[in-house]
Amino acid sequence: MEVEVEEEQERVRVVHCGGSELNFRRAVFSTDSKYIFCVSGDFVKVYSTTTEECVHILQGHTDLVTGVQLNPSNHLQLYSCSFDGTIKLWDYLDGILIKTFLVGPKLYALFTVTHAEDSVFVITDKQPDAFQLVSVKLPKSPSQEVEAKELSFVLDYINQSPKCLAFGREGEYVAAVRDFYLTVYFFKKKTTSRYTLSSSRNKKHARNSFTCVACHPKEDCIASGHMDGKIRLWRNFDDDKKYTYTCLHWHHDMVMDLAFSVTGTSLLSGGRECVLVEWREVAEKNKEFLPRLGATIEYISVSPAGDLFCTSHSDNKIMVIHRNLDTLAVIQGLVKDRSILTGLMIDPRTKALVLNGKPGHLQFYSLQSDKQLYNLDIVQQEYINDSGLFQIELTKAAFGCFGNWLATVEQRQEKESELELQMKLWKYNKKTQGFVLNTKISMPHDDQITALCFCNAERCETLTLVTASKDGHFKVWILTDDSDIYKKAVGWTCDFVGSYHKYQATDCCFSEDGSLLVVSFEEIITIWDSETWELKCTFCHRAGKIRHLCFGRLACSRYLLSATEKGIVCCWNLLTCVLEWSAKLSVRVMEPDPLSEYIAAVSQSSEGSDLFVFKPSEPRPLYIQKNISREEVQWGVFVPRDVPESFTSEAYQWLNRSQFYFLTKSQSLLTFSTKSPEEKLTPTSRQLLAEESLPTTPFYFILGKHRQQQDKKLSETLENELVHLPLTENIPAINELLHTPAHVLPSTSFLCSMFVNSLLLSQDTKSAVEIPDDVDIEEEKESDESDEESNPTEHVQGTNNTDLGEDTLYQLAKSEERELRKFRKVDYSWFTAP
Amino acid sequence: MASGGGGSCDPLAPAGVPCAFSPDRQAYFALASTDGHLRVWETANNRLHQEYVPSAHLSGTCTCLAWAPPRLQAKESHQRKKRKSEAIGMSDQIDLLALGTAVGSILLYSTVKGELHSKLTSGGHDNRVNCIQWHQDSGCLYSCSDDKHIVEWNTQTCKVKCKWKGDNSSVTSLCISPDGKMLLSAGRTIKLWVLETKEVYRHFTGHATPVSSLMFTTIRPPNESQPFDGVTGLYFLSGAVHDRLLNVWQVRSENKEKNAVMSFTVTDEPVYIDLTLSENKEEPVKLAVVCRDGQVHLFEHVLNGHCKKPLTSNCTIQIATPGKGKKSTPKPIPILAAGFCSDKMSLLLVYGNWFQPTIERVALNSKEPHMCLVRDTSNCWAPKVETAITKVRTPVINAEAKVLVPGIPGHHAAIKPPLPHTEEVESKRKLGGNEVSIEERLGAMDIDTKEGKDDLLQTNSFPVLLTQGLESNDFEMLNKVLQTRNLNLIKKTVLRIPLHAVIPLLQELTKRLQGHPNSAVLMVQWLKCVLTVHASYLSTLPDLVHQLGTLYQLMESRVRTFQKLSHLHGKLILLITQVTASEKAKGMTSPGQKAKLVYEEESSEEESDDEIADKDSDDNWDEDEEEKESTKDEDVDEENEDDEAEAKEENGGDGAGAIEKELNGDSDLDPDNESEEE
Repeated sequence: MEVEVEEEQERVRVVHCGGSELNFRRAVFSTDSKYIFCVSGDFVKVYSTTTEECVHILQGHTDLVTGVQLNPSNHLQLYSCSFDGTIKLWDYLDGILIKTFLVGPKLYALFTVTHAEDSVFVITDKQPDAFQLVSVKLPKSPSQEVEAKELSFVLDYINQSPKCLAFGREGEYVAAVRDFYLTVYFFKKKTTSRYTLSSSRNKKHARNSFTCVACHPKEDCIASGHMDGKIRLWRNFDDDKKYTYTCLHWHHDMVMDLAFSVTGTSLLSGGRECVLVEWREVAEKNKEFLPRLGATIEYISVSPAGDLFCTSHSDNKIMVIHRNLDTLAVIQGLVKDRSILTGLMIDPRTKALVLNGKPGHLQFYSLQSDKQLYNLDIVQQEYINDSGLFQIELTKAAFGCFGNWLATVEQRQEKESELELQMKLWKYNKKTQGFVLNTKISMPHDDQITALCFCNAERCETLTLVTASKDGHFKVWILTDDSDIYKKAVGWTCDFVGSYHKYQATDCCFSEDGSLLVVSFEEIITIWDSETWELKCTFCHRAGKIRHLCFGRLACSRYLLSATEKGIVCCWNLLTCVLEWSAKLSVRVMEPDPLSEYIAAVSQSSEGSDLFVFKPSEPRPLYIQKNISREEVQWGVFVPRDVPESFTSEAYQWLNRSQFYFLTKSQSLLTFSTKSPEEKLTPTSRQLLAEESLPTTPFYFILGKHRQQQDKKLSETLENELVHLPLTENIPAINELLHTPAHVLPSTSFLCSMFVNSLLLSQDTKSAVEIPDDVDIEEEKESDESDEESNPTEHVQGTNNTDLGEDTLYQLAKSEERELRKFRKVDYSWFTAP
Repeated sequence: MASGGGGSCDPLAPAGVPCAFSPDRQAYFALASTDGHLRVWETANNRLHQEYVPSAHLSGTCTCLAWAPPRLQAKESHQRKKRKSEAIGMSDQIDLLALGTAVGSILLYSTVKGELHSKLTSGGHDNRVNCIQWHQDSGCLYSCSDDKHIVEWNTQTCKVKCKWKGDNSSVTSLCISPDGKMLLSAGRTIKLWVLETKEVYRHFTGHATPVSSLMFTTIRPPNESQPFDGVTGLYFLSGAVHDRLLNVWQVRSENKEKNAVMSFTVTDEPVYIDLTLSENKEEPVKLAVVCRDGQVHLFEHVLNGHCKKPLTSNCTIQIATPGKGKKSTPKPIPILAAGFCSDKMSLLLVYGNWFQPTIERVALNSKEPHMCLVRDTSNCWAPKVETAITKVRTPVINAEAKVLVPGIPGHHAAIKPPLPHTEEVESKRKLGGNEVSIEERLGAMDIDTKEGKDDLLQTNSFPVLLTQGLESNDFEMLNKVLQTRNLNLIKKTVLRIPLHAVIPLLQELTKRLQGHPNSAVLMVQWLKCVLTVHASYLSTLPDLVHQLGTLYQLMESRVRTFQKLSHLHGKLILLITQVTASEKAKGMTSPGQKAKLVYEEESSEEESDDEIADKDSDDNWDEDEEEKESTKDEDVDEENEDDEAEAKEENGGDGAGAIEKELNGDSDLDPDNESEEE
């Protein structure tokens, strides 16, 4: 995708600056639920679940990443697979690529199973549209790039989506669904059973094809989701005859994804209703809902620790949801649910990129941090997410007067003749720091509005807005004083309606100083005086309908540029009223830089989109970059830089004052950068790598030590097949405290200090305090390194130290026990006295 | 970045809470409040980004904080392979935040992970940490404390690199020179240390109270001819507790001058200072000083040697509440911090209470010496909690918003006489109107006299009441008349109202038509009646278009949806009335009403009206259909008149010529109007 133009030393590159997809595949939690991994274009992104921040971007794949899974043998590592035919192993804490396995064919999905540590499962394509599940053996090798060609076939004719495949309890079987079939393959028996929905032949149930599948983690139970909204639970499927299924039905539209909780006590399902449904005990009657999630749920995943869920939504967001169905965090990328109609704008106030967001919203997106700032609810209607419904869509928006005014146009058109239009004018209220509706105009035009522009010239004393419409009119709206005896108010009223021979108005534009208004009527450009609204003159070149109009800036403000549908760009001189030059260029986007004379035009050809930068005064482009994107470029915008750059070379001067951003059809946001990646990676300020070092807390001495010992004991007992009681219960002081009858105990306040003292370490065991400190650090190191290379000497050291710690604790406890006994005696005497 | 002072009960402790903007783009604002919570706010959308409570937040409250220089986000992997992959345009990421505490420990908090990253304790301070500074390049951290020492930390290992005694009393402030080789510290005196050897290079004296802030203001020496050793010739700024003066010092090559070269005066103790570095000799230093009294003072000054008099601020910014009601006075809202944006032309202001501050970007206008911003922060608490998760902001829609629907003035351009097109039309119309005016006047006289006569029949018409209502604009009275449903009553009233009341009546009707649809249904009946009865009068008015333009637009817009249907309806009515009119002409000999002067046309017109009206009431049309229908009706009726007139003429009407003219003129009005609109 990247294209480099090499010239002298600097070069302009197209770089991706945001808006990548987050909801392409299921997100995966880390074992401690601190991080969440999601695929995003060619990268894997690591997000923090608490702060919603991107911690790392794992880059290295050269094509779309299609799956991520934790390494089952080391929970600090992550596998990812991609269309480029490789599986990569990452250390996600440091963002380092550990290994690359070259598999070969396109990989569509990745699965890992706990018991099979040396192999993973991937979906590949056998023929076009025929997918198979294969197991890939990952060879152990010290080198960084390893060939992994040992593929063994598992299942055939499956769906390419990872939603339609699930591994069952401890990886004993795998369930796959496709159309009307459920296929279960048992690894031990090496048998395949196939179940067909009886109703598939029945017309009445034609909509019940499978959409997704999930397997119970503890029992032999498969849940499958269907087109008609039903969830079927399959049991006894190891027997072709005796299998049963039960139905759960709440969804009215297709079930998009299913997930079992870690313990299997509840099932989660979601769909187009934007409601997360939790089926407690996997039963019909115990349902819990988390409604109004805003967009269709595409994927559901559950953290291995079981405390968090997360849902990926069609509007490019991931919601992190607590076990008790509270939303904790929202990781929101650039919203891209539907087509962008408003184009790209820059909010003069916040310098944020503004475009269509959620349905009926405008999103404000921070370009610097690649994060959504907020959504502005323009339509203010509850959004009903259902197929076939015609929604109110936000079609146009514009900022005026340094961000003090915002004009929005919303439209709903069900049939050709039934158009609903509404224009709203919002005023920014400085007192409350928010937009307030000033004027609402219903049906400002009789047909769709094609262009909307404010007169932003400083000399204009009245604020002016122009709307151009397909109904052949353009209307001039001005801000007038609406004060009466009750209140002081301003409001917008129509000042002038213009038309030209019943042609459709296609675009409108004010000159830089606001003295002229230019409206294009199909092939004809009309120029109007903005003082008197008199038609001054008309230009016509007969080169097709005019799509874009723009004025030159600064020194070139006398030039007017028009781009037509037939692919002609014309430049008119307004002083002499002649056509200065014209060029053949099929322009998709034409944007003037507000701070310089330059105009950027993006043209569309069969190979891709090309960028041309020119000054209106010169017919020759100053800078051309071919093939900036494979896809069609839909919108572009110049974003003024806070601090101007200083490129001396003429070809790059257009990047000095502003930066050009553009949005492609697949809605990825791209820009131009002159910095080479190497330069970006070695900045003047050296990278700060602060080691994580936290002093151990007193709790760690009590609980952490015990837990370690317990773990050790447990592992020992497992080896010896012997059962010991856990250590905490062996401490006599605690035993005494817990087993003495309550009515003979001294007061709690008296016992409390003693009890706590028994848990603390006394002064004379200082050495014990210091040694565990070392242990701690060493053990952290150990876990940081890959598990494969464990250090035996460290282990020995570790056990020695823990033994010592145990001893001191034990001694302390004994002395405390003695004291406690004493008090017990006292208590008894008190008890027997009366 | 600028740093605030600590907060405690110590009288010599600096005022204000420790807070700081994140470096580079000021995307975040960190504030450690006195309740021990660290809150990080997003400056762009004023949203609470995260909240962190250190485990020992009650004993060891945060006394100072500093953001680490940004770390690079996009890292390259092990393999040094040149892949042709698309680089992420992600820039440096802000992450670590160093917090100094009252007990001497320093916490490194990761804002990306939202957890404590490291704790620097061993071998560090054993008393309150007063100031922390990150070294811009080496990743070192410098801290100073009440225990008189300065400590250099290696953040990679979280160990002490060096610790030395900085002063005989507590060291209160630190600052690293722009080249990173020198360190300024302030205790009793301000000392400039060479970082490599930890030796004192210069002394500066002048402040009586502990210095709360130190900052280099220039990065280039004023005199560029001399060789620059990295620090000589640079200016730096210092502010102290309880001191209303900010001093500027210069590092001189000779060790003589120890006093401040100049000073800035502010209204109260400085709480937070931010400045833009001047990169060359000509560029002035911009300084924003937040004072304890909640004001911000802005200075703009080219640093150039001595200046005896303390400089006063170029601009002062204050924020106040609007003050509810008439009596309550506006209350000032304290500003907590101010930071220059990277374009140096705007300022980020943090104001309100530290629990829920508001962050706003304010463009600077150097011309005004005093800026008072009125801000309403009273209801800012409620919406933000909700938006923290959903990130949806709902703009306010209140009843004060103006609503424009088709037909209401302002929705369409007002029809103005000066427009060339309309002028032509009007002049035409005037011609037509003038010719018949005499007749019309006669007719008008007629009605007037009639009215006088019909006083007895007041029970079934309210012309007087209506006229009075219109004149006095009495809402009650008008309601009483206009809200009748009796068609006969309407007709009779309309017939009898004086001509001068017609236009006011029409205007009143227009106003009511724009209102609720229910009342509009009634008004349509009135409107129809008025237009049919007084069409001839209306056509005589010279400024009719101007006066009834709104009504016309209203009708036009309401009819639009069912344009074809109403056209058909109009045609049919035309036929029917023609038929009935011809029948009537045959059957009728005398008009039903007593009148002095009888105009056949008028009476027949009335009767045909009756019929239409009856027919209307028979059919149960929908509300708006009825409107359309009726509005169209009048159009049609006018045409009817035309046709009827023609019919009369054929029948042998004497003197019908004039009337015909009049009616022709009348019927001219509509097509003209229409064409003009379309």
